[in-house]
Amino acid sequence: MNLELNTSVADPQWHGLIVWYFFLGGIAAGAYVMAALADLFGDIDDRPGVRVAYYIAFPLVGVCGLLLTIDLGRPERFWHMLIQSNTGWPMFKWWSPMSVGSWGLSAFGLFSFASFAGVLAEDGWLGLKRFSPLASRLRTGLAGRLFALGGALSAFFLGSYTGVLLTAGNQPVWSNTTWIGALFLASAASTGIATMVLLDRSLKLNIKESVIEHLEQLDSWAIVLELVMLAIMAISLGHLSRSAFGTWPGLLIPAFVVPVGLIFPLLVKRWGGTRAAETASIFVLVGGFVLRSAVVGMPFPLLSLTTVGR
Amino acid sequence: MAEPVGFYTDTTVCIGCKACEVACHQWNALPARNGGEVPLSGLSYDNTVALSDVDWRHVKFIEQFSADRTQARWLMMSDVCKHCVNAPCLEVCPTGSIVRTEFDTVYIQEPVCNGCRDCITACPFGVIHVSAEKHIAQKCTFCYDRLQNGLVPACAQACPTRSIQFGPIAELKQRALDRVGQLHGQGASEAYLYGADTKILGGLNAFYLLMDPPETYGLPTAVQAQVPSRSVWPASVKAIAASLVIAFGAFVSFGRRKRAVAMTEGRGGPSR
Repeated sequence: MNLELNTSVADPQWHGLIVWYFFLGGIAAGAYVMAALADLFGDIDDRPGVRVAYYIAFPLVGVCGLLLTIDLGRPERFWHMLIQSNTGWPMFKWWSPMSVGSWGLSAFGLFSFASFAGVLAEDGWLGLKRFSPLASRLRTGLAGRLFALGGALSAFFLGSYTGVLLTAGNQPVWSNTTWIGALFLASAASTGIATMVLLDRSLKLNIKESVIEHLEQLDSWAIVLELVMLAIMAISLGHLSRSAFGTWPGLLIPAFVVPVGLIFPLLVKRWGGTRAAETASIFVLVGGFVLRSAVVGMPFPLLSLTTVGR
Repeated sequence: MAEPVGFYTDTTVCIGCKACEVACHQWNALPARNGGEVPLSGLSYDNTVALSDVDWRHVKFIEQFSADRTQARWLMMSDVCKHCVNAPCLEVCPTGSIVRTEFDTVYIQEPVCNGCRDCITACPFGVIHVSAEKHIAQKCTFCYDRLQNGLVPACAQACPTRSIQFGPIAELKQRALDRVGQLHGQGASEAYLYGADTKILGGLNAFYLLMDPPETYGLPTAVQAQVPSRSVWPASVKAIAASLVIAFGAFVSFGRRKRAVAMTEGRGGPSR
């Protein structure tokens, strides 16, 4: 891997909206992954938790699409990501992470929409009660299992491609490591589960305590995986780690994300007590947001070019 | 397909007159910054400062002074889009807005660009910027409209010292090699060509004769300037490995919980 910082690049101004997209997209992907895996490997007790995940994934990915569109210089041309504006044929470059990501996000949008409609029908919302038996039949059959598998794959993609997108460029730090995608995926899993737990506790959704405990355990594993990914990323950066994690905002990772957003929730889960799950989940979510802010902001203090204002 | 063309910029004869900047502004009808009131940079005699959405040419002044300021050395280099053979911006552009022309130059089709700015993350030279007025990516077009009409790009046409030379790539490279040979013969052994061979992004169609290491001019080395696709597969494989770890962990965990429930309830486990 190239371990020389290229500071001659320009700032793409991927800031606030992109950080929120990475964060909310991560939650949607993480929650959906857990729900789809529960559909594949879990049992009937997991169903209330699965429904929570399917209820949040589609609205969140809708917000993500909106954030990305607003962030474009020309939002009315958002469809140029998918359709060639001069021929009307699909626009797809398998070697461009943003092109593949646009299709991946669309695919996840379709999966999450179908799951959202399914749980609406199951719960009889929006006059969809008559489709409830059909939804249940589709969910439990072979088609349902294949659908869950496809949905899980699209969610894994959404949770990780954003990191691959950052890597595939020439910005300092981003382009000096190939571990950001894996790191973002681990963070997506933990923030997705944390959101499910938090929603259950705050909205009194009555998910079985054993299921919440199981989710908490999975969350702990995801946090440990995230810590491992961060350590590997730091090692992969070699001597550049000092620039990456020693200057603002990368400094937030060792100073805040690791102690407050990762280790503290692990300890809270271990200590137990009332409201331990909610407390841990809140800190995991704050940590997940700060992690993305820090990673997205890492290159910019290192750029040598002066920005010319107009 | 027309013959591939390019720029050969001999920095040893650049006098920093900025005629190239003016010609580029004039031909491409680029607006002035700050309504024409360009503040002094305060750091240099160069007040353009950097390439931008409205400065597609920028003459860099590299001012080297000794600590007591009795000794001074100025290097000047007219910076521009390098029209790379393996152009990172073209590779990542998700809309197909950035294309290679029949002259082997790299061109942004304005009606297609939606301002996603992925090209800015990819360009290792800091060339591309988003227009404050059009809100799309902007950079040197290599005067595509002039090329189509058999004209020399405005900057090369205006350069009074022939620091910027335009022509077929093969011819320019020979001319540049001859010039390096001449400089070496005169004792300037530090003279070398940057981007004329294939080491940097397969070659730069706008290449330079330099007297100092690339970093002195704010240019990346061959190691620093990479095609984005080099990291897509390694990063993807790691993301897939992390996905498998999570999926396997969930599989084991769900299975363990089901067995625990079955043992507690003394039956074969709850049905789906």
